[in-house]
Amino acid sequence: MSALLSPEFLARLARLKLAVRRRFAGSAAGLRRSSRRGASAEFAEHRPYAPGDDVRRIDWNAYARLEELVLRLYVAEQDVAVHLLLDTSRSMSLGTPPKVETAKRLAAALGYVALSGSDRVSVLTFGAGLSQAFAPQRGKKQIGTLLRQLEGLCADGSGTDLASSIELFLSRRPQPGVVIVLSDFLDPAGFARPLDRLVASKFEPVLLQVLDREELAPSPGGDLVLEDVERGEQIEVTLDEAAIRAYRARLAAFFESLADWAKKRGAHYGRVSSDAELEVALLAYLRGQSTAGAPAP
Amino acid sequence: MSLLEPLSLAWLGLLVPLVALYVLKRRRTPRPVGSTMLWALAQRDLRAERPWQRLVPHVSLLLQALALMLGALALARPAGLGHVPAGARVFAVLDTSASMAAEDDEGRRIDGARAALRALARTLPPGGELGIVEGAGEPSVIVPPSSDLVRLEAAIDRLDVRGGRAALEEAAALAGERLAGAPAGSRIVVITDAAFAGTVRLPGAVPIEVVRVGADRPPANDAILAVDARANPGEGTPDRVEIFARLERFGGEAGDVFVSAEVEGEVRASRRVTLTPGVPSSALLTADLPPDDAGQAPFVTLRIRRADDRPDALALDDVAVVPSPASRRLPIFLVGAVPESVRRVLLTDPDAELFALSAEALAERSPSEPALDGLFVLAGASPETAPTGDVLVIAPDGPLFGVELPAPVLRPRVMTWDEADPRLRFTSFAALHVASLRPLSLAAYTPLVTTDAGPAIASTSRPDGTITVVGFDPDLSDWPRQAGFVIFFRNLLEGSRGRRAAGGIAPGRIGEALRVPAPEGAEVVATAPDGSMHRSLARGGIAIVDVPALPGAIPVELAGGVRRFALRNLLDAEESDLRARAELVVDDGAGTALAAREAEEPSEAWPWLALGLLVVLALETLWATRRGATA
Repeated sequence: MSALLSPEFLARLARLKLAVRRRFAGSAAGLRRSSRRGASAEFAEHRPYAPGDDVRRIDWNAYARLEELVLRLYVAEQDVAVHLLLDTSRSMSLGTPPKVETAKRLAAALGYVALSGSDRVSVLTFGAGLSQAFAPQRGKKQIGTLLRQLEGLCADGSGTDLASSIELFLSRRPQPGVVIVLSDFLDPAGFARPLDRLVASKFEPVLLQVLDREELAPSPGGDLVLEDVERGEQIEVTLDEAAIRAYRARLAAFFESLADWAKKRGAHYGRVSSDAELEVALLAYLRGQSTAGAPAP
Repeated sequence: MSLLEPLSLAWLGLLVPLVALYVLKRRRTPRPVGSTMLWALAQRDLRAERPWQRLVPHVSLLLQALALMLGALALARPAGLGHVPAGARVFAVLDTSASMAAEDDEGRRIDGARAALRALARTLPPGGELGIVEGAGEPSVIVPPSSDLVRLEAAIDRLDVRGGRAALEEAAALAGERLAGAPAGSRIVVITDAAFAGTVRLPGAVPIEVVRVGADRPPANDAILAVDARANPGEGTPDRVEIFARLERFGGEAGDVFVSAEVEGEVRASRRVTLTPGVPSSALLTADLPPDDAGQAPFVTLRIRRADDRPDALALDDVAVVPSPASRRLPIFLVGAVPESVRRVLLTDPDAELFALSAEALAERSPSEPALDGLFVLAGASPETAPTGDVLVIAPDGPLFGVELPAPVLRPRVMTWDEADPRLRFTSFAALHVASLRPLSLAAYTPLVTTDAGPAIASTSRPDGTITVVGFDPDLSDWPRQAGFVIFFRNLLEGSRGRRAAGGIAPGRIGEALRVPAPEGAEVVATAPDGSMHRSLARGGIAIVDVPALPGAIPVELAGGVRRFALRNLLDAEESDLRARAELVVDDGAGTALAAREAEEPSEAWPWLALGLLVVLALETLWATRRGATA
C-alpha cells in the first residue's frame, strides 16, 4: 500500500486508537467524547430549564422529585484534531536510515490511526519555518493522500527553530487538539518555552524524539572534527572513551529534561532510534505508556 | 668570549618540539552531526576534569622560545677571563707525574688536567697566548705560547702522563723565565693533584694560580714498592728462585690481594696477601725459572690484583719487572794493584766473578774485539780512555783518563756526602779517616763524598755506564773497618748488575726515555708494553727512545738482530700514595711564603641565572595552564 508502512503493520494499527487524555471540542461528529454536550447515550449532567429549550429533554422523574424543571444533557461525540508537526530540518537528514524517514513512518502510522478513528489529521513540516504538508482532513479515504504526501517529504536543509515554528503554528489558529511533535529536539535555543506555548494554547503535546544510533551510542573514532550540519559550527573532539562517557552523560541529562517536562505537563514523551523497530514506541504511545523511562543507550 | 660547555647548546634542540607543539595541527577526520550542542557541553566537562588544555597558538610562544634560547646559551657558560687583560700570556705548568694516571671517582686525573687546560685555552682573552710546561722528570716547554686554539687543543690531546716524580718548582721556575717581559696580567697556572709530600715553593715574580685535580679522598691504591729475586738452588731444583716483593695499600680498608709472578705471560707462582692501609707487607714467592734455549735468563713480571676484584686507583704500580738471578753473575776485571780490602769485599759477593787483567793488556785490546761486559776496577794508573761499561777507579796515582789531578792532601776531613745517591745508600762517612787524598776536582764529575780538601769520591755517567772514582787508598784508611765500606761496594755491584741485566741499558722509572748504547746512526726500535713501537737513531753512541709511561720489560731491537731489554718500574711510594698532601706556597720575594691561590671557576653566576630563568619559565607555564583551566 505504501513504502512507509507494510500491510501487516497497517493491519495491526487498524485495531488501535489514538490515546487522547483531554477532551476537545470537535468540529464534526466523531467517535470521541467532546467537551461539548450532544446527543449521545452517555449522560453528562442536569441543568435548569430555560424558555426555548427542547421540552423533550426535560427529566420528568427529576421534576417529580424536585418540583423543578431540569434538562438531561448528554455528552457529545466529536472528532479530535490531530496535528502532526514533522521536523524536516537538515539534522533530520542524518542517520542510517535518515531520521526523517523514521519520523515520516511514525507520522504515517499515527495519521493512519487517527484517520481510521474519524479524527481530523493535519501534517505540518517545520525547520526554521512552517509549511502545511497535509491540510486538516478526516475519514479513511484520506489515508492514501496522507501517505503520498508524507512520502514526498524530505529534510529541506534548513536549521531547527522550534520557537518560531510553534509561533507560526499557533498564529494559524488551528483547532485545539493533539499536537504530535516528531523531531530530534536538538535545538540550541531549547524546547521548553515553545512547547509551553502549546500547552498554554490548550493543545495536548506529544513528544516523539527520533535519534540515530550513532547519536545514541557513538563509537570511538579517534581525532575528529564534528561539523554541525545546521549551523556550520565545528568542534574538535578526540573520540575516546572519556569523551564518549562525557557525551552520554550530557545526552542522558537531555533525555531527562525532556521526560521531566512531559511528566509535569501530563504530556507523552517517547524516544525512537532511527534503525530500531518503531512499533514499540508507537504502541507504547497508543497504549498510553511512555518509552522515555529507559536509560539512554 | 667563548663557551665552556658548548654541548649545552644542544638544549636549543628543544625549540623544535616547542614550536611544533604550537604550530602542528593534529590531522582530524570530519564527521557531520545533527548538532554539536551536546558535544560542546561534553568537551567543557572534559576540560574541567583534565589538567591539560588544548594548545592554542599564542604570542607567548615567541617569549618562551626566547627564554629557552637564553637558558641554553647561559648553560653553555659563555665566559671570559675578565681579570686577565687582552694580550696577556698564560703558562700552564702541568703535573705529569705517575700519580696523575690515577683514576678517581671523577675519572683519570690527567683527563681532568686536560679539561682544565682546554678551559684555559678557550677562555683566553683577545690576543692572549697559552704555553704549557711539563712538570715531571726534567721540566720542559712542551707547547710554546700560542693563541691558535686548534693547535693548542691538538697539543693538549697529545698530553699524557710522563711518569716519575713531580717537579713543579723547576717547571714553575722555567715558566717564570719564559714569562719575563710578558704583558701585564700574565700568569702561571699550576695544574696538579698535589699527591706528593713536602712543600713546593713557587716563584712570586708573576701571579700564580693552582688548579687541583683529583678527589680529596681517592680510592684505595695497592702498590708494589720493591721487588727482588734471589737464587735458592737445591738438590734437584737448580733453578729455584725466591721472589721477594714489598707491598702496601694506600687508603681504603684492609683486604687481600693476589700476587703472581709471570714469565712471558705464564703464571709461575702466586699467593694471597692481606694488606692493611699504611702498613707495608711482604710476599715471598718461589718458582723454578730455568734459562731459555738461548741461555738467556728470563724476566719476572710481578702483578698484584685485588681479591675482591674491585678496581685499583693506579695501575702503574700494580706491575713490576725484575731480572731473574741467573742474570746476576757479574764479571769484575781487576786492573793493576787493587787494594787488598777491595779485593776481599768483592770476593764476598757470591754472584761476582773476578778476573785479573793488566793495564797493558787492557790498553792493547783492539776495538774490533768484543767489548768486555762487566765492572772494571782500576787501581793506580788509568789508561787514556775509560773502558766501556761501569768503571771503578781506586786511588789514581797519575792522570785520570788523561786528566791531571791535584796533588795529594794529607789527612783531609770529611764534610758532606750525597745520601740520595744509590751507591751511598745506608752508608755514613762521618767517622772516615784517610791518610792521603788526591782531591777529585774535575768538571765532569759529581762529588759524592766531599772533604775540606775537595771531593774524595766522585762519579760521572756515560750512556753505557758510570765511572766512580775513589780518591784515596782504602787500605790507608779506616774505611774497611766500617760497615759502610761493604755496603758501598754492594750498592756499586748491584747498580752494575742491574745495568748489565738490562743489556747495558740502564734501568729507570716508567716514562723515562731509554738510553741505548748503539753505533753512530744505527736505528733502535723499542716495543712498549702496550705494543706500540718507537724508533730512534743513535747520536754520539747513544740512541734516546721515548716510550710511554708503562711498567715492564721493554724489548729493544738493535742492528744485526741484537735484542736487549730495558726495565721500567714505578716502585715509588711517593707516587703510589695518591692523597693530596703537598703544600704549594708562593715566595713573595721578601722571604714570606704564602699559600698559592686556588684558581676560581669563571662566570659561575651564569648557570644559576639560567636555572632561575628556566624555573620562571616553568612557573609561567604552570600559571598559564591553571588560568586556562579555570577560564
